[in-house]
Amino acid sequence: MDSSLINVEFLIDTFFVALSGVPIALLVTVVALAIALPIGFFLALTRINEIPVLNGFTKVYVSFVRGTPIIIQIFVLYSILPLILSRIFEQYNIDFPIYDVNPLWYAFIIFSFNTGATLVEVFRSALKTVSAGQLEAAYSVGLSTAQAYRRIVIPQMLVSAMPNLCTATINLIKATSLGYAISLQEITLKAKVAANVGYNYLEAYIDIFIVYLILCITVEYLFKVAEKRLSRYKALATA
Amino acid sequence: MLEIRDVHKSFGKNEILKGVDLTVDKGDVVVILGPSGSGKTTLLRCINFLERADKGTATFGDLNVDLHSASKKEVLAVRKKSAFVFQNYNLFNNKTAIENVAEGLIIGRKVPKEEAYKISRDALDKVGLSNKYDSYPSQLSGGQQQRVGIARAVALNPDVILFDEPTSALDPELVGEVLEVMKDIAREGTTMIVVTHEMGFAKDVAKKVIFMDGGNIIEEGTPHEIFVTPKEERTRRFLRRVLPGEYDFEI
Repeated sequence: MDSSLINVEFLIDTFFVALSGVPIALLVTVVALAIALPIGFFLALTRINEIPVLNGFTKVYVSFVRGTPIIIQIFVLYSILPLILSRIFEQYNIDFPIYDVNPLWYAFIIFSFNTGATLVEVFRSALKTVSAGQLEAAYSVGLSTAQAYRRIVIPQMLVSAMPNLCTATINLIKATSLGYAISLQEITLKAKVAANVGYNYLEAYIDIFIVYLILCITVEYLFKVAEKRLSRYKALATA
Repeated sequence: MLEIRDVHKSFGKNEILKGVDLTVDKGDVVVILGPSGSGKTTLLRCINFLERADKGTATFGDLNVDLHSASKKEVLAVRKKSAFVFQNYNLFNNKTAIENVAEGLIIGRKVPKEEAYKISRDALDKVGLSNKYDSYPSQLSGGQQQRVGIARAVALNPDVILFDEPTSALDPELVGEVLEVMKDIAREGTTMIVVTHEMGFAKDVAKKVIFMDGGNIIEEGTPHEIFVTPKEERTRRFLRRVLPGEYDFEI
């Protein structure tokens, strides 16, 4: 029996086990972002323009998501969703094995739902940094609302949204570690399962720690590069 | 060429325009004067649908629209016949000077890119910015930014250009360069409606001067009629305030 504090061999082996969970973690992150970005943006617009019903709905949605721990959201959705769906399937005599669904699908739904609420607030504050005059000028030269947003407002809005988008993305990557609660084959679950065999939890946790750190630092760097590119028109002023 | 009839506009309980009529002929420079809060800017903004009037009609040549209930299509049609120069320039911050000018041509009016850039270069040359094509607004002075704003309007070759206090946000020493550019394009026969506090510009360039107060047009006429022989007491009082000394002299 090895009496040293850390089993280095296990540490190294498990690092690669943890690493093999990265694709799933990134897949969940990318899909959740792809769904949450447009939802967050359009709901932010309904808040800013005070669109009657949607504005109220968005407020409730954001408060609900912010006011509850994500792990509880996961448990609730994971138990309620199949319950509702099986009831519906029963009603229409659809034969679908709802309890055999890959947890990946639940992860997509839960993390989109959660990140969408964060992004509403990110975009709402970013949109406010673009003066109303930019939109008016676009209208005055004959652009439609869609063209004005695509070509004038969104490029400027993104610059101020970037730091918060980066934070939201990193929080999302880290939150995918909670996927172990629904048996999602991601970084944390894989390393913990490996640790179960010989009770090498400390090594497994260190590995998990390092993998997330590498992942998040990389994402942070990518956002910094993107931010620099997007804000070229501002940077030149001082150059 | 441009006829505005019976424009009303309120913000909440505050009635800003109380039935304004305005006729502008092709090639005219019409200057609107008046104390702040008299509705000058709101009138311009209603003409270009940056503000929805509560009531009123506009006729641009053969295009007839209701300023209150115009459809999206009609709004776009009016905007294609007009251009707006803003008090705060409102250049697109994420675009260079030449991109600012070309944007409305390429996207709004579907002019081929190459032709749009040629028109844009000509417009920037005209306002004296031939060496600033690729500068971003943040790299330009206020006067230069407003000249790009004017180039952006001129390049569209609209039936009428609406100027909303184009020199009010400028440092005093930069006002001259912008007024010079405006005089140049006026001389070329551009139809302009100008809201301004620059009395000198009104006297030298205007074909017609309109004095507004409290949401109504109080008096209109040639610069001579307004500045030298005003009929209304409110006009006289306003001129005494903005042209101290000079005005007393002439009566």
